[in-house]
Amino acid sequence: MSIDAILANPEQLKTSNLEAAYGPVKAVRGVSLSVPRESIVTILGSNGAGKSTILRALSGTLVPTRGQVHFNGDNITGDDPAAIVRAGLVHVPEGREVFPLLSVGENLLMGSYARGDGDAYARNLEAVFGFFPILKERVRQPAGLLSGGQQQMLAISRALMGDPDMILLDEPSLGLSPRLTKEIFEIIVRINRERGTTILLVEQNANMALNAADFGYVLENGRVVMEDRCDRLREKQDIQEFYLGRKEQGVRETRRWKKRKTWR
Amino acid sequence: MNGRAQLSGSQASAAGPAGIGFDSFGTRPQPLPGADTFPKVFFAAARLRGEAVMFREKKLGLWTYTRWSQALAVVEELGLGLIELGLAAGETVSVLSNTRSEWIYSDIAAQAAGAVVSGIYPTDSAEQVQFLCEDSGSVFLFVEDEEQLDKFLAVADRLPRIRKIVVYDMEGLHDLDDPRVVSYEALLEAGRAARGRLGELEARCAAGTPEKVAILVYTSGTTGKPKGTMLTQGNVVSAVRSLFEVFPDVSRPERMAFLPLCHVGERVIGCYYAIFAGHRLNFVEDPNTVFENMREVQPGIFMAVPRVWEKLYSAVHIALNEATALERLAARLAFSVGEKVAARRIAWQPVPLHLRAGYWLARVLVLNNLRRFLGVNRVEVASTGAAPISPDLIRWFLALGVEIQELWGMSELAGVSSLVPKGKLRPGSIGVPLPNMRMRIAEDGEIQVQGTQVFSGYLGQPEKTAETFQDGWLCSGDIGRVDELGYFYITDRKKDIIITAGGKNVTPSEWENQLKFSPYITDAVVIGDKRKYLTCLVMIDQENVEHWALDRQVDFTDYRSLTRAPEVRELIADEVEKVNARFARVEQVKDFRLIDILLSAEDEEVTPTMKLKRKFVEQKYAHLIEEMYPKG
Repeated sequence: MSIDAILANPEQLKTSNLEAAYGPVKAVRGVSLSVPRESIVTILGSNGAGKSTILRALSGTLVPTRGQVHFNGDNITGDDPAAIVRAGLVHVPEGREVFPLLSVGENLLMGSYARGDGDAYARNLEAVFGFFPILKERVRQPAGLLSGGQQQMLAISRALMGDPDMILLDEPSLGLSPRLTKEIFEIIVRINRERGTTILLVEQNANMALNAADFGYVLENGRVVMEDRCDRLREKQDIQEFYLGRKEQGVRETRRWKKRKTWR
Repeated sequence: MNGRAQLSGSQASAAGPAGIGFDSFGTRPQPLPGADTFPKVFFAAARLRGEAVMFREKKLGLWTYTRWSQALAVVEELGLGLIELGLAAGETVSVLSNTRSEWIYSDIAAQAAGAVVSGIYPTDSAEQVQFLCEDSGSVFLFVEDEEQLDKFLAVADRLPRIRKIVVYDMEGLHDLDDPRVVSYEALLEAGRAARGRLGELEARCAAGTPEKVAILVYTSGTTGKPKGTMLTQGNVVSAVRSLFEVFPDVSRPERMAFLPLCHVGERVIGCYYAIFAGHRLNFVEDPNTVFENMREVQPGIFMAVPRVWEKLYSAVHIALNEATALERLAARLAFSVGEKVAARRIAWQPVPLHLRAGYWLARVLVLNNLRRFLGVNRVEVASTGAAPISPDLIRWFLALGVEIQELWGMSELAGVSSLVPKGKLRPGSIGVPLPNMRMRIAEDGEIQVQGTQVFSGYLGQPEKTAETFQDGWLCSGDIGRVDELGYFYITDRKKDIIITAGGKNVTPSEWENQLKFSPYITDAVVIGDKRKYLTCLVMIDQENVEHWALDRQVDFTDYRSLTRAPEVRELIADEVEKVNARFARVEQVKDFRLIDILLSAEDEEVTPTMKLKRKFVEQKYAHLIEEMYPKG
């Protein structure tokens, strides 16, 4: 499917003026996103822009202070996280958060707990091992003994075990080598293309995210400052300078001052 | 003194709205006698005030201060340093920097050494910097920092006349090896080493005369290239002396310095007048922290452009929107009392005792909190200029207890020519001429000016200069009228007048100013020259409209989508309708479009003070304009 066709799909998830706060600190200040079915949508932004907070507000681990979340047409704002998982929306949190003392197999079993039956479990397990053969080899090892990359694979696999319609992926590249990051991203795209799973991806590695995703939002201080198709975002001057690290060098070889962002 | 004579003439023939005769500005003894050039004013003032604090600057979160004696030493060293580097009298020096104390020191030092000083907007591009340096014939260039230096370096080989570039802030530049670039510190050092030649600087300063050109102020150039307005020492000194006469003394002469110093307003009315009168300038830390810094300083004198006053008004508007119902009720009651008081004061009537008591209560319980929040609680003298301000805004601030005196001027008049006298408000008026200025309405309705502040010409453009004068009067380009008390009113810019296809003359700025009073609108441009009807392009106020949209659950993502939300369009349509209701049918705007790009001061279609430039906007958004005039 072409990007245009994917982006024309009906909405899987939609937020309207979502606001979320940690005590008196507003982290997300009115964000409206729309994620079409079977697409990969990315949220870019610097540290503290509110990216992870948005995902937490979507998965129900943080109750939004204002605004609404619609998933598959249903209002899930402030629903119980378990109910949201059952509805088909699964969160892969930042830092992976696997159960370190449980084995790889048990971790995967945890992922299928909320949804599905025996048949589904076997089917999903096979699919997961297809994407990540290494996990099959390590199925009996405690998850805490896996490398960072393998733990990330496990976290994604655990999400897949729930056979979700949509995955919220928070910083899958965190702490991984460039090669591993590339591998993980390739698999993320495969999961999306082969299974039709919608993915909302939060990522600091803008280059990777813009390659993988169809559509992107740029978040600053809890607000969307720019949105566009990823191929168009890549061409924007501000994105190149502030997210892709490409800048005009000017007359001198070095330049320390920052241009003002205009977001257009 | 002719201006005053004219005033007393009108005084005899007419009485005020409440039957009170008009008394003009009154006279005060002038300080610093004999100082006829600005550097002389500074040296005399610095010697007189010695150890008193002259400037405060917020650096890295801390307010630091400079005494007059310290500033004197710095200016002397800079002046000597410039002479050491070979600056000759009569040459030109340019300054490319945000507002900071070094700007002012360099300005005075270069003038003391006999040079002419030209300011460049820090938001200008490298190409504009090149043009301004070439046109002014600058031989020295002061730049603020790395960012500004890079603009020069990008066009360095096209500017062979520039002999030295002085950098205020060398952060990130210590490795730079360019023989033309020196640091501000190095220049001071050179001056310190040459202290023995102080006599030469003093001699150059003493050789200054009122006829010599002091500063070049480039007009923003909405059409064609900018023109360098030459203001003489006599122009600027008579301007500050006359400002001293017309503005009353205040008990706490604290002021804010934040507008660009290359603008004649901040340069002459802001900085030069403050130095002359001994007001203390407080430099803000950053252009974005103006309102925060203002709260800390609580200035006694506040002079700003309408945009700043509008922002203050919006801040209250937003705060009240988020306040509790009780707070909102209290504010409404307090303002209703304030408005009654304001109405009396505008009518020049005494405020009756019961109203004064009510207002005192409103101040203590509500308004003073708002005043402190805005940073205007201790303001005794407030003024606005450089652009038209909505009379509603003046009334609102008067209700809050801040009397804004509108002033009017232009670069060619050293920034100021008329002022609304304190206690004698007439909202909508630009006031009466300063004591040293005369103003008249020409046959075609244009305001024309004579007086000691009228400039000496545009640099290198005698034809353009000649075009500006008519029988010895300066043509301001503003169309206006004068009332029975001698108060002047502006109705429009001469070149902005729209003649519709139906042959009707329309003055767009009146309509635009009314619309701009809406907290949701930053600026607007009315279109309609040679067209069947009037339309308008609107720039919305991002912050306020976003707030509004969030409150009403209007979905939007970025700025563009905000301008496209149907609810936002409706909001602006309502504002447009409200303004239309006050105008005759032919003067009403039939359609409008929102500008969907978030403009910043770097963009060519806005001035550095974020006003839309009519000509640029008309070209750049031609596609939006054509949409409003469907063919056939």
